[in-house]
Amino acid sequence: MELFLMALTTGIMVGGIYALVAIGWVIIYKCSGVLNLAMGEMTLIGAYISLTFYSMGLPFLLALLISLIIGLLLGILTERVFLDKLIGEPVLAVIMVTVGLSFFFKGMVELIWGTDTRVFTPPVFSMEPFHIGQIIIGQVYLWSFVAAIILLIIFVCFFKYTRWGLAMQATADDEMAALSIGVSARFVYAAAWSIAFMAAGVGGTLLGNINGLNISVGYLGLLVLPAVVLGGLNSIPGAIVGGIAIGLLQNFSGVYLDSYFPGGVKEIAPFAFMAIFLLFKPHGFWGWERIERV
Amino acid sequence: MSTTFLPCGDYHQNYKQEHAWWQTKFIEAKMILLLIVLFVIIPLVADSYVLSILNLVGYTILGALGVQLLIGFCGQITLGHAAFIAVGAYTSTLLILEFPWPKFMIDWGVAYPISVLVAGIAAGIWSVFFGLPSARVKGFYLILTTMAAQFITVDFIITQYVSQIGGRGQAFSLPPGTIKIGPWVIDSDLKVYFMMLILLIVCVIGVVNLLRSRVGRAWIAIRDNDISAEVMGINVVKYKLLAFYVSGFIGGIAGAFWISNLAAISPEHFPWFWSLWLVGVILIGGIGSIHGTIFGAIFMVVVMELLQLAVMPFADIYPKLLMDFLFIKEAAFGLAICLFLMFEPNGLAYRWWQIKNYFNLWPFSY
Repeated sequence: MELFLMALTTGIMVGGIYALVAIGWVIIYKCSGVLNLAMGEMTLIGAYISLTFYSMGLPFLLALLISLIIGLLLGILTERVFLDKLIGEPVLAVIMVTVGLSFFFKGMVELIWGTDTRVFTPPVFSMEPFHIGQIIIGQVYLWSFVAAIILLIIFVCFFKYTRWGLAMQATADDEMAALSIGVSARFVYAAAWSIAFMAAGVGGTLLGNINGLNISVGYLGLLVLPAVVLGGLNSIPGAIVGGIAIGLLQNFSGVYLDSYFPGGVKEIAPFAFMAIFLLFKPHGFWGWERIERV
Repeated sequence: MSTTFLPCGDYHQNYKQEHAWWQTKFIEAKMILLLIVLFVIIPLVADSYVLSILNLVGYTILGALGVQLLIGFCGQITLGHAAFIAVGAYTSTLLILEFPWPKFMIDWGVAYPISVLVAGIAAGIWSVFFGLPSARVKGFYLILTTMAAQFITVDFIITQYVSQIGGRGQAFSLPPGTIKIGPWVIDSDLKVYFMMLILLIVCVIGVVNLLRSRVGRAWIAIRDNDISAEVMGINVVKYKLLAFYVSGFIGGIAGAFWISNLAAISPEHFPWFWSLWLVGVILIGGIGSIHGTIFGAIFMVVVMELLQLAVMPFADIYPKLLMDFLFIKEAAFGLAICLFLMFEPNGLAYRWWQIKNYFNLWPFSY
C-alpha cells in the first residue's frame, strides 16, 4: 500500500511537469496546426540556459526568468525563420521540419554544453524529504509540482482573460474568422511558439532539478506525445489530464511491471500504451473527430 | 512527377512501349554504360575508403527504399524503419550463430543467403504487426505508432531480451568466415560492394516492377486519397498491410546485408536517429521517386563525408572538434532537412527531371 501511495504521488507530481510541456505542444498545434517533434530539444535549451545562469551565481528565480525571456525570443525566431513558410504544407513536410529542427537544436546543445550530466549546484531545493502521513515525498518533486500548477493556472488565465490569449483562442477555433476580425495570424503563431518554448524551458529546468541535466531530458519531448494523444491533440484540459496520466502510468509500470519485464519497461510503457490506445480511440478523450470527405 | 519527355521525334506507338524499362536505344546504352561503370570500373579504381563509403550509400539506399515505398508511394508515414532493419539484422545473425545448420549447408555457403531471406520475411511480418493500426489511423497518429515500434522493438525487446540469447552480452560478434555465399567468403570491402550492388539491383527492379503493376497502382491511389481508393473497390487495408510487408521485407534484407559489413552488431547500430535519417534521405531526394531515393542517399552520405574532410584539418588546432563532429553532423543533418523542405520541397529528383528534360527537348523546348 505504501508503495502504491508513493508511486501515486510521484506519478502525479512528475505528471504535472509533463502536463506543462504538453500544454506547450497543444498550444502550437491548436494555433498553427504544426505537429511539433522538437519539444524535447526545446526543454533542453531552456533547462541549460537556466542552469548556466544559475551556476553563474544568479538566484534561481532570476535564472529561470532569463531563460523564459531567451525562450520567448527563440520561439519567435524559430517560427519566423523555419515555420512561417510551411503553414498549410502537407503533414509530412511540417513534421519533418520539426524533426530537422530537433536535430539542429540537439546538435547545438551538445556542441555548447557537452554531453556530461550537470546538476544544479548548490541544489535549489533542499534534500530533506517531506512526510505526509506515511508518504515520503522529495522536496524537489513537491516544489516542481507546485511550480507546474502555478504556471498552468497562469496559462489558463492568460487564455481566458487577456486580449492576446483570446486572439489565440479565436485563431485556434476558426482561422478565417479570426483573420477577418483583425487578428494577426503571424502574431498568434509567433506567440504560440514563444509560449511553448517558455513552458518547455520551465519543464526542463524542473526535471533537471530532479535527476540532473543531460541530453536524455530531451526524451521528455517524446513522452509528451503519448500524453497529448491520450487527451486528444487539441484540448488543453486533455493535455493536463494526459500528462498526469502518463506520469502515473510510468511510475506504476516502473513499480509493478518491472519484476515481470526486467529492464526499461518504465521508458517503454507510455509508448506501448499509446499504440494500443490509438487502436481503440484514435482521437483521444477530448479531441475533435474530423469527418473526412473526398 | 510525371514521366520524362522523350526526345523530339520519338513517340510511343503502343502501350507496351510506354511501359518499357528502357524506352529508347540511347537510354539502353546509357544504362549499360552505368552497369559497366558500377561493376567493372569502380572496383578497379576505387580504394577501400571509397568502397566503404559506397557500401554505406548502398545500405542507405536499401533502407530508404522501403521508407520510400511506404511514404512516397503508399502515403503511410513511418518514423520507425530502423526497427525493421534491426529485426532483419538480428534474425540473420541469430540464424547464423545459433541455428544448427547441417555441415554441408555451411560448406556450400547457403546458410547466409537463406538467413537473408528469412530475415526479410521476419522483418516483413514484424512490420505488418506494427502496420495494423494503419487500418484505423493515419497521418500523425500512424507516425506515433511507428515511433512506438521503434522504441518497443529496439530499445526494449532487442536490448533487453534478444541480446541475452546465447549469453554473449550486448554485442553479437560474427566470427570471420561465417558470412559465406557459395564459395565466396564475404570478408573485404570489395566483396561487400558486389553483394550490395546485386541486392540493390534486385530490390530496385522488384520495387519498380511492383509499382507498375496492379499493386503499385493501388498503393498510389491510396496515397492520393484513400477514401476515393476505397470507393473504387481497392481493399485499402489489404494493400496498406502489403505495403508494410514489402517495405519491412526490404528493410530486413538491408539489415541482413549490413551485418556482412559489421564486425559485431548491437542495438546501438539501429537508433531512432537512423529511422529519421532514412526519412530525411527520401525527403532530400524527392518523395515518390525511386531516383530520389538513390540521389538522396548519395547526397547525404557524400555531404557528410565532405563535411568530415572539411572539419578534420581544424582538429589539430581544436582537438575537441574530433569529438564534437558527431554533434556537428546532427546539426547539419537537421539544417539540411529544414532547408530542403523550405527551398526545394520536390527534392533532388525534381532537379534531375528538369535537367533531363532540358537535354531531351533541346533545342525546341516548347
